[in-house]
Amino acid sequence: MRAVLVGCLALGSTLAAAQTCPTRPSWPTDEWPVSLVSPTAKAAELKALEDFAFTLIGEDKERKGFRTDGLVIIKNGVIVYERYGRGHDETKRHISWSVAKSFSSALVGIAVREGALKLEDSVCAVLPEFEGTPQCAITVKDAITFATALGWQEEYENATYQVSSVISMLFGVGHRNQLKHILGHKLVGEVGKRWSYSTGDAELASALAKRALAKKHGNDAFWKLLFEPIGMKRVVLEEDIEGTPLGGSMVYATPRDYAKFGFLFLNDGCWNGTRIMPAGWVAASTTPSDAFLATAPDDEKTSSGYSWWLNRPIPTQNKPKPWADLPEDTYAALGHWGQRIIVVPSEDVIVVRTGDDREGSIDVNELTKLSLAVAR
Amino acid sequence: MKKLTLSLFALLSLAGCADDNGTPRTFDNNDLELAVGNSARMGCSCMFVMEMPEAYCRAWVKASPDVAKVSFDVVNKKVESSAFISWAATARYVDDKRGCILE
Repeated sequence: MRAVLVGCLALGSTLAAAQTCPTRPSWPTDEWPVSLVSPTAKAAELKALEDFAFTLIGEDKERKGFRTDGLVIIKNGVIVYERYGRGHDETKRHISWSVAKSFSSALVGIAVREGALKLEDSVCAVLPEFEGTPQCAITVKDAITFATALGWQEEYENATYQVSSVISMLFGVGHRNQLKHILGHKLVGEVGKRWSYSTGDAELASALAKRALAKKHGNDAFWKLLFEPIGMKRVVLEEDIEGTPLGGSMVYATPRDYAKFGFLFLNDGCWNGTRIMPAGWVAASTTPSDAFLATAPDDEKTSSGYSWWLNRPIPTQNKPKPWADLPEDTYAALGHWGQRIIVVPSEDVIVVRTGDDREGSIDVNELTKLSLAVAR
Repeated sequence: MKKLTLSLFALLSLAGCADDNGTPRTFDNNDLELAVGNSARMGCSCMFVMEMPEAYCRAWVKASPDVAKVSFDVVNKKVESSAFISWAATARYVDDKRGCILE
């Protein structure tokens, strides 16, 4: 009996600790507090950062180099640096591209919190129109860990367009019913074991979350349960004509609003004392997934959890941490053309960068290293 | 133009194939369809969601092959794109939560 009692007490204290939300002097639900670093005291650090991120090469129409549209650094819950370029400003939304994938996994987390989804649910439990297909072997967790084993071809504008599952989905034959396009791909491996980065998986995740939450909260559930509670006032999540959210690529928000999403994760999924994400969700999101550990290809140097990219070494694959100059607890949402939400918990820092890099996306390690030097 | 020619050849020879032996699957659309779909959708989102000027959006949606003729309808919040005679696409702004939709 004593052992049981001790065990119960230990379990109770563990659960209590897991559910305790961090406290902060203020929360940026309405607006971020701003206290910019001194341009004189930080002159060298600012020059190094801006030379790296804002130096345009050639004429704009040539699309060369790192073309930063917005850069915001948050330290201890305060904006300490903010600059925009190329006609953008703090009021303008910017495309997320694949940063959206981290939103989609979070929306699945909201649905789990609400009891509307379980990670082990089959996709067909939520999407009954696919009942009877082999794709019913796919679970909700597979969708947020790039482990559906669908034969998805993640190619972009630099490949032959006809072989891109993404381009066909967004702009071609699949665009009217994207869910059908995604789940129309054959299974090409063991579901839950085969890791393969996929915009289709992430969009499937957002579709599962929307469908599951709509029963109780309607079609605006994402705004009611996530975006509005954390003050993302002007966020857009586009859809196809059937109402499937384009959760692999098409979120639009201001850099300041993107930073609020980073701040939610920095604070263990809590916002001003309220738990938005389920207890343990942020930790699971920022731990390499079993599928990644089992089957990620050698050339994939950056591990992923629930659709977040992680600065973790993977000794079993002889992979050092990918961002050598950054703390190991760093994690990020990353998108095409250099979209970034970078969270560095041990420094209490968030870096949001929006851009239009057509030649190759801005380097996470260098951008964050220079940003940390400004913020410290 | 070279890419367009090659892609049209690929379309004619491989359209709709799905291969089980490791050959990449090809999808039944061509560069012109993709070009107008891309410029309509992205042009709409650029102008009515990102709220950027028309000149910026025209440059932003430019893709290879650069064949799409894009028309911005600010009053009705929609963007139409066409290429040659046969290909056209329209995207329209829905609302401040869902942005633009490609019809």
